[in-house]
Amino acid sequence: MASRTSKTFLSLGRINIPLLGFNKPSGKATYATALSINSSSGNKGLPDRGGRGPFVRRPRREAGEPRTGKMPVDQDWTAVYPSAAPFRPGSVPLPLRMGYPVKGGIPPEKKGNLELIKIPNFLHLTPAAIKKHCEALKPFCTEWPSALETDTKCDEHFPIKLESKEYVSAGPSLRNPSARIVHLTVKLSSLNLDDHARKKMIKLLGERYCKNTDVLTIKTDSCPLRQQNYDYAMYLLTVLYHESWKTEAWEAEKTVADMEDYSWEDSPSQKNILDVLLRMKVAGEGDGEEVRQQLLGRKDVQDYKDSVTRLKNEGESESSMLQYKEAVKKVFNM
Amino acid sequence: MLHKCVALKSDALTEFGVCSKDLSVSILMSLTCVSFQACHSETHIGQYYTLPSAHIRTLFPSGLPWRYQQQVKTFNEACIMVRQPSLEVISYLKKTDYSKPALRYLFYGQKGTGKTISLCHAVHFCYTQGWLVLHIPDAHQWVKNCKELLPSSYNASRFDQPLQATTWLRNFRLTNERFLSKIKTKHRYMWTKREFTEEGSLLGELVDQGISRVKSSSDVVGAVMKELRLQSGQPGSDFHLAVAVDGVNGLWGRSTIKKEDKSVDPEELTLIYNLRKLMRNDWTGGAIIATLSQTGSLYTPKSAYLPQELLGERGFDSMDPFIPVSVPNYSEKEFESCCLYYMDRHWLQHPQSRTEEGKKELVFLSNKNPSMLDRICGFL
Repeated sequence: MASRTSKTFLSLGRINIPLLGFNKPSGKATYATALSINSSSGNKGLPDRGGRGPFVRRPRREAGEPRTGKMPVDQDWTAVYPSAAPFRPGSVPLPLRMGYPVKGGIPPEKKGNLELIKIPNFLHLTPAAIKKHCEALKPFCTEWPSALETDTKCDEHFPIKLESKEYVSAGPSLRNPSARIVHLTVKLSSLNLDDHARKKMIKLLGERYCKNTDVLTIKTDSCPLRQQNYDYAMYLLTVLYHESWKTEAWEAEKTVADMEDYSWEDSPSQKNILDVLLRMKVAGEGDGEEVRQQLLGRKDVQDYKDSVTRLKNEGESESSMLQYKEAVKKVFNM
Repeated sequence: MLHKCVALKSDALTEFGVCSKDLSVSILMSLTCVSFQACHSETHIGQYYTLPSAHIRTLFPSGLPWRYQQQVKTFNEACIMVRQPSLEVISYLKKTDYSKPALRYLFYGQKGTGKTISLCHAVHFCYTQGWLVLHIPDAHQWVKNCKELLPSSYNASRFDQPLQATTWLRNFRLTNERFLSKIKTKHRYMWTKREFTEEGSLLGELVDQGISRVKSSSDVVGAVMKELRLQSGQPGSDFHLAVAVDGVNGLWGRSTIKKEDKSVDPEELTLIYNLRKLMRNDWTGGAIIATLSQTGSLYTPKSAYLPQELLGERGFDSMDPFIPVSVPNYSEKEFESCCLYYMDRHWLQHPQSRTEEGKKELVFLSNKNPSMLDRICGFL
């Protein structure tokens, strides 16, 4: 359909152009300056008006000062733009410029600027206008519950938040397919998860989990209706919760590379430091288990363990490197 | 202090004569000091000391940075500024306990802040103390641009690099001439069916064997490293081993050497394999000093300079525990000292470079980064 209409437009355009071309010479003559009236009395080119007199154009009024010059500073703007309207340069008292500047020049001014007219403007939605809207809507609203004064209280009572958008537009159909999308956000800390369940949940969620804010976001848009998408999102949340509590047999094969956090026990770092400390001590104490435990319990080894864990988990920075350096120096008694 | 310095080097007097009159007394001491015990303390930060040219020839046949070598040729002397990082490592080296396992010191810092020069400073200190210096000028050279790659005769899965090995053996022989006739091997090495090195032969013979028989030079390097590692710190030996590696992150990185269109892992190279064994601290009686370098490294981002970024997981676990020493840009005092040195050597010819305004411009342009300052001053 669309392609056909465009072709007709094109054909119309093509038809029009020769007409315009044909009209041009006469057009130029018509839009000549006002002086053509008295250019020649008894001009044989002009048609015969039957004795009524020469052709006089309706006198044109001069355009007065635009309204912007007469606007007081404390005017009621909501009266100027009570609803959505295109940009009127004479009604907006701002020195706006928009458009690509000519070489060595500046963007064109607002008078006669098509760019400003094309774009959507929100001049009808100033804070004063919004206030008026709110005042008008207030009689239809109920009180906000007093028990939900703060954000934390809202999170506590209503941890699951659902978002969806309504679309209002005038067109052949009132429906908008984007209205079916549902966003479900919930903080993982408000769910009852133990350590293993939490780690498994985060692995299952992948991209949908934000580590900084601890928020899980599920976006559903696979079903055609919002009700269906809402049901699907709730179903997903339930399934995730129950699945993360279960432990499968193959989870026992989790390797060091899969671990989310670095744990110092049984790491190469622990082996290295124990190795070095054992060699440093005079041989004679033996190599038994209790010697290892005693070494591990020392304060400087604990500091070393903290610094290495910090380096690996938090990433590197000058301060964590300094901490590591101090810990190593203490272990080697420097 | 000033008098001692004057007495130690006779042409220091001529230096003072050359110095212009507007230098204050404290800055006059920014020139030459040769004795180490006198000149390596906290008060000497910012001052330059000269490396004797004989030492340069033997100790650093290829260990110094390229631009610095050019500077040495131009100024006809090799002066290094005494800075905090190298002082710190030298103080630790002075206190090393030779019965404990070797400690690892790692210089890290952004590009051009003077890590290689700090390493050379520490190595020179070890050399003057009579240690045996095992210096690998750039570990990155061993993992890229290899012209000849032979399958190893010792282990079929590894590859040899004869050219790099022979170059290194030559430099090693030049640096440690006096030890070659003193140290004896403890094992017997078989190179081919007919060639072998007996137990108890001199280290010098082993090294000569490697230089003359190019095919087995990588294995000779491995044997030398093994011998030194085993013998250092033992009661009978009378030497201390200092291992200095520049660009140590190349050992655990990737390589661009290709064998039949398949990229070779650094672990499969004999030289790298043996060097990694040396970097482990399972030997006593010395120290390991290393620097990280992003400049020559392969497949690392340009902004990486912290140890874990450049070493990677495996490298960090192998080097752990080590003492990281940060090498920052020049401080105010060091910057002043450097400018004065350049002015004294008549390197800064532009008249405006001697003014305060000019100095501020230099600070702004170079951000007190030593290599940037060197490049900018080259134009003035």
